[in-house]
Amino acid sequence: MAMSEAMSDWSAVTRPIPVPNALTQPFWDAAKQGVLALQRCQSCGHFQHPPYPTCVNCISIDLKFEPVAGKGTIYAYSIMYHAGDKRFAPAIPYASIIVELDAAKGALLAGNLLDAPYTEAKVGRRVEVVFQPLNDDITLPQFRLADAQ
Amino acid sequence: MWENRCQVAISGVGYSEITRSAEMPLAAHALQAVKGAVVDSGLEMSDIDGLATYPELPATGHAIVDGISVVSVNCMMTMLKLPNLSWHVQVDTVNIGGAVQQAINALLAGVCKYAVVWRAMHNPRGTYQNLPGAYAQGPAQFTAPYGFGGPGQGMAVAYARWLERHHQDREKMATLAVTQRRHANKNPRAYFYGTPLTREDYLSSRMIAYPFCLYDCDIPVQGAVAIVLTTAERARDLKPQPAYVAGYGQRLAFEVAGRIGSLSNYMEAGSSSARLTWERSGFTPNDVDVAQIYDGFSASVIYGLESYGFCGEGEALDFIQDGRIELDGELPLNTFGGSLSAGRIHGLWQIIEGALQVSGRAEERQVKDAKVSFVGASAPIVQGTTFLFVNEPY
Repeated sequence: MAMSEAMSDWSAVTRPIPVPNALTQPFWDAAKQGVLALQRCQSCGHFQHPPYPTCVNCISIDLKFEPVAGKGTIYAYSIMYHAGDKRFAPAIPYASIIVELDAAKGALLAGNLLDAPYTEAKVGRRVEVVFQPLNDDITLPQFRLADAQ
Repeated sequence: MWENRCQVAISGVGYSEITRSAEMPLAAHALQAVKGAVVDSGLEMSDIDGLATYPELPATGHAIVDGISVVSVNCMMTMLKLPNLSWHVQVDTVNIGGAVQQAINALLAGVCKYAVVWRAMHNPRGTYQNLPGAYAQGPAQFTAPYGFGGPGQGMAVAYARWLERHHQDREKMATLAVTQRRHANKNPRAYFYGTPLTREDYLSSRMIAYPFCLYDCDIPVQGAVAIVLTTAERARDLKPQPAYVAGYGQRLAFEVAGRIGSLSNYMEAGSSSARLTWERSGFTPNDVDVAQIYDGFSASVIYGLESYGFCGEGEALDFIQDGRIELDGELPLNTFGGSLSAGRIHGLWQIIEGALQVSGRAEERQVKDAKVSFVGASAPIVQGTTFLFVNEPY
């Protein structure tokens, strides 16, 4: 398959807009500024995502959001061929990936693999965060391939 | 060992009509299944004094209407008007296996004599996962914007991780799909009873969410199944050969909602449930004659086989090869066809088949000399419960 044929067409996809809540607001506030910030336990240092009321490592409730570098590796992925979610039908086939960040092991972030053929989604590939504004309030952290290191 | 082992038994079992999608209200299916189980036991409806279920519709984006898309305990009470009803419960966290366990506990506590548990599953006409709306709330705010629309994709990323981590080949899963289909071809109640499936069909089928192809996904149906549970003493006076509950367990770990793709949880959750079941019953995986392991997606069987202790981590796709899971194999598996080939009625059909096998009532798909029967009634990665049934008390 030629590379261009393996590029997912995201142009006609209307992504559902995340609705922040009391636990997740700082994540979205940071993303709007182009910063990836994750919840970190101030007691044991554990990073976690999605945000949770307590540290899943030590049960501390002393949690703060801290900026983290957006470099990591693909931990898991799926290539979607079936429009289970009709909103994403125009992009099929597309790669949904799970990323483990170098600086925040244990936190797993979902994303899509942008600007690359979906066939490039493989466990262990190097990726870096990019920010994709959805509207005036919400910016989505996303991922693209990074140089191997 | 558990002092209450073999004090409760599954007696009768019942089924509704099973159709591809909704043609009559779900309550009518549930009623057929419950009546069937009561008749199978040789009881009168007025004997039933306990009710338990897990009324959930896994399809998202549909209105929850009691009697149409779910059948609650309230709905069943309204329909049956049981004169001697003395106990009921509706569970939330551990799927239908939790309702069965609560009924066992109620019988052990002596607060009812004959409990009925049913699972009714709706398949709405039109789109199963109906995901309208411009917003993503709760845990979905971190997944839905990236096109993780249904449970399949969350399971698919974990399976991709498993395949890569253990250097395994998804084509080996054909053995599971094809073997379970052969079992379904011996089960007149299975949705795919009359439809064969070959290895070539599996390998050439369309991809849904890589690594899952069409035949890695169960078949959504509209239908219900039900069982009658009673004390061992009472069960011996009823018509069917009892299937004694030797032990059970439930998962004691849970992943943070919205954190998907991780495999660490399935071993922890599945093994915690199985450990309770092995310890309570005194049996080990080597003692098991026949197993039913929940298969909403094929990979759940892999997680089950590994976390319950039937094989080592990363070995399950090799374990299922070479005839091991056939009816005459070392570990006959999902002998009714499983959710992949019999239909998506969640775990109660697995529990029914586990009971029928030790009762010697599995007809054409009966495993010879089945005395110890294991059931994993839901995916260990999500809502695991496990059971052990035996043909006689010990």
